[in-house]
Amino acid sequence: MVLSLRDVSLSLQGNAGVVDILHDISLEVAAKETVGLVGPSGSGKSSLLMLMGGLERATSGAVEALGHDLTAMDEDALARFRRGHMGVVFQSFHLIPTMTALENVATPLELAGVADAFDRAAAELDAVGLGHRTGHYPAQMSGGEQQRVALARAAAPRPDILLADEPTGNLDQATGAAIMDLLFGLRDRHGATLVLVTHSQELADRCDRTIRLVDGRLDRETRRTAEAAE
Amino acid sequence: MTWLAQAARIAGRELRGGLGGFYIFLACLALGVAAIAAVGSVRVSITEGLEREGRNILGGDAEIEWDFRRGSEAERAYLASLGTMSEIYDFRSMAATGEGIEADRALTQVKAVDDLYPLVGAVEIAPDISLDKALAGNGVIVHPVLADRLGLEVGDALWLGTRELTITALLQREPDAGGDGFGLGPRTLVSSAALAGAGLLAEGSLFETKYRLLLPPDTTDEALDVLRAQVEVELEGTGARWRDRRNAAPQVERFVKRIGSFLVLVGLAGLAVGGVGVSAAVRAYLERKTPVIATLKTVGAEGRTIFAAYLMQIGVLAGIGILLGLILGVLIPLAAAPFIEAQLPVPVALGVHPFPLVEAALYGALTALIFTLWPLARTEQVRAASLFRDASGPARGFPRKRYMAALAVAVLVLIGSSAWLSGIPELALYASGGILAALAVLIGAAWGVRVLSRRLARTRLARGNPALRLALGAVGGPGGEATAVVLSLGLGLTVLAAVGQIDANMRAAIDRDLPEVAPSYFFVDIQPNQLETFLDRVQGDPAVSRVDYAPMLGGVVQSIDGTPAREFDHWVTRGDRRISFADTLPPGTRITGGEWWPEGYDGPPQISMAQEEADELGVELGDEIVMNVLGREVAGTVTSFREVDFSSGGIGFVLIFNEAALRGAPHTWLSTVYAEQEAEGQILRDVAGDAPNITAIRVRDAIDLVTEALSALAAATSWGAGATLLTGFVVLIGAAAAGERGRVFEASVLKTVGATRGTILTSFAIRSALLGAAAGVVAILGGAAAGWGVLTLVMEAPYAFEPVSALAIVLGGALATLLAGLAFAWRPLAARPARILRAQD
Repeated sequence: MVLSLRDVSLSLQGNAGVVDILHDISLEVAAKETVGLVGPSGSGKSSLLMLMGGLERATSGAVEALGHDLTAMDEDALARFRRGHMGVVFQSFHLIPTMTALENVATPLELAGVADAFDRAAAELDAVGLGHRTGHYPAQMSGGEQQRVALARAAAPRPDILLADEPTGNLDQATGAAIMDLLFGLRDRHGATLVLVTHSQELADRCDRTIRLVDGRLDRETRRTAEAAE
Repeated sequence: MTWLAQAARIAGRELRGGLGGFYIFLACLALGVAAIAAVGSVRVSITEGLEREGRNILGGDAEIEWDFRRGSEAERAYLASLGTMSEIYDFRSMAATGEGIEADRALTQVKAVDDLYPLVGAVEIAPDISLDKALAGNGVIVHPVLADRLGLEVGDALWLGTRELTITALLQREPDAGGDGFGLGPRTLVSSAALAGAGLLAEGSLFETKYRLLLPPDTTDEALDVLRAQVEVELEGTGARWRDRRNAAPQVERFVKRIGSFLVLVGLAGLAVGGVGVSAAVRAYLERKTPVIATLKTVGAEGRTIFAAYLMQIGVLAGIGILLGLILGVLIPLAAAPFIEAQLPVPVALGVHPFPLVEAALYGALTALIFTLWPLARTEQVRAASLFRDASGPARGFPRKRYMAALAVAVLVLIGSSAWLSGIPELALYASGGILAALAVLIGAAWGVRVLSRRLARTRLARGNPALRLALGAVGGPGGEATAVVLSLGLGLTVLAAVGQIDANMRAAIDRDLPEVAPSYFFVDIQPNQLETFLDRVQGDPAVSRVDYAPMLGGVVQSIDGTPAREFDHWVTRGDRRISFADTLPPGTRITGGEWWPEGYDGPPQISMAQEEADELGVELGDEIVMNVLGREVAGTVTSFREVDFSSGGIGFVLIFNEAALRGAPHTWLSTVYAEQEAEGQILRDVAGDAPNITAIRVRDAIDLVTEALSALAAATSWGAGATLLTGFVVLIGAAAAGERGRVFEASVLKTVGATRGTILTSFAIRSALLGAAAGVVAILGGAAAGWGVLTLVMEAPYAFEPVSALAIVLGGALATLLAGLAFAWRPLAARPARILRAQD
């Protein structure tokens, strides 16, 4: 299994006291599988995705990725692990405002010690249709363009796992559709496992499996039938 | 004017949000205003104290002083007719524990007084006996420092010249000490009668006689003016100097005024540094308010209404900051009162004085206006449409012309008022120009660092080194803190570097230049009949490398080429001058014009004059100078000019007559002895043992005194510069704090794409160090320029770049930004990426 969660719970300290976000979640994701996480707002789907990426630490239970126990790693070990194995895309893109598009994409490659980081970053931007905007800063680009840079940054190190948190949430329908095509295209090209948080049923339907969360618990799991896949 | 009322209502509602986010703004303004208010309050307290206590400090209503002689019987009778008169002698001498070469000796400043002393105030002594009793017979009162130095106590014997005296008390407070000026040794107080026949006040010796007058209690200042004019006419040409209760301690007053004004200028630099923080705070505030401004425009508010609304808000906040500064400015001097009072020889009543507070408030308000006008003017340029687009802060570019004009007027008013109020307009203009130039250079430097960083980030050097490239990207990229940090720290460090350069140069001048050329001792008051014995002793000593000696006597310049002396405004024509005579050209003397008289010349008197002073007075070869030498008029023709270097510490006379002209006049000899340090003690014992009236001034001690005075000056200035740097550091903290949100976000993204905390921390550190180094480099250049300006233009001293203090400044700057940066790195490093990044979704 590429991702394996056993009895994972997450509680966070809020202003009004401890809030339980996730309760005893157990699930596994196979290699090259695409999984859509759906559910109403506040159901815990983004938190679950963050746990899978080691961006949040589980209160209890075990999170394993590619056979490594993420709960046993410290912040730096997690960062190093993500370098080679994971790419994350956020709803608000989260590009570094002081870096150009090219520099944003090259950063994870540099951190991974890739020698031709900038050439590869340029190629990756080309692949998302932004070869002509490498020198632009995020503030000089539209939301759709920024998300394409974010996609290129996530995909550039050829990660085993792609995690996407509502990647079209801040975009119009047409731009969102184009971004999803790109995301699925990248996944197909590189053969990565994709876990996607979305409110869009249409998007969820493009995944091999859909997991629905309600109040921090697994509610329902749906596998796409062979016919639908075709 | 409804738009103004509307603006006021909007401002009121906005201010309900409290002072959050404005602490740096308030701190910057309060610190600058407090520094200026405190310095001004102390200055005014001292000058008011001097005015109020003038009579006590002077020891009378008026004082007439002569050098090297007592007033003649007629002169004394005239002065005594004006009011109650008291006669005082003031001179340096050697106080000894006994006679002969076994005795210990120390230099002392002797005040020999009559029965009427002090006319005003009281001398405090321990034990608490009456002054008359303490000075009766052979009684002498000494300063505790002198008693300590010689290991003496009350009841022990003390020798002055050939006279044995008995210490009857230790001096606790001398009422007229503030008016006495600079002394080379601790005070000894004795009655003139006790010194009669001690061989200390012989004709031609170096002493001053002061005649203090107590006038009727109803003597007004106008009456004093009239009296002064009368006295000056009556005593014209006698070398008499007049002082009265209104300028009782001119040296102290001048010093306090100078240092006070100088510190106010340093304070202005501090305000400019604070202004950078004020500007950054207002900019950040208005950026946060962009949606509010856009919304107000959407609902119909005009640009001027919005500008006025925010100007009012900032005005209220500036008012609070200034008020805080004024409160601090009043409290600091009161808290430091015991320390300040202990440092001054005059009474000070530290209290609340309105004028310096108004001055500080004016500077504070103008600074706040200057530094906030630009960002405020930009509020007019925020478009309602920015609500519907990705608002990335207010518009860039220049504000409208009327705001630029207002800005220029505010700058001119600030510079003009500082020039006018400081009392040193020239220095104030230099300082303002310096601050403006430094700001311009720093803005340029910040821009340069950003461009360079952007370029470097794209070179091969940075590629593959993410920590470095991240840092370069952050410095060079948009929305960075580069400008605020380089400006605030750079200006603070520039002031510190300038003070460092000036201080180091002055110290170096003393440490490096003087001891090499300066003699070990000045021996003064050598009577003509003692000269031979004296020379035998010193010239025969193998440890002595050189002995110079010259006759010396006092003379008053009466006229130069027919023009009366009073028409020249020059130190040479004021009061008594020490003059000399010689037959042959003294060794090492360089003639720069004319010719020295032939050996054995016995014709009409000739004068050789110092070239520099001759140039200043416009004296030419062939001009006649008439001098009053101890009551006798001597007219001489200037026949040569000489080069005289007073800084070498050797013997130098502005005027030298040919020997025959003055040989018969009463005179003493002055000698400089260059000896090995180990031999100095024995030479002093031998010379003083033979001739107790000869006073030895150890040059090393005199240099130590000057160094001490310089240290006090440097300390005061360092406090001023320290306040500026503290403001700079507050701005730096503000910039670091303002950048923290950005860094937390950045660190979270970087962690997400695989950066370790080490990499992120290294990147933050490189970024801080880069900005600190840039500020430091500009500070070195600015400090060197300011140091050069002050030394060469104001002090007329040579300037040499002092690398040690400069390097310390750059390292300090880099370290300060590094620490501020790292202090605010903890949160970004500790933050969990998920929480930060999701919070922004």
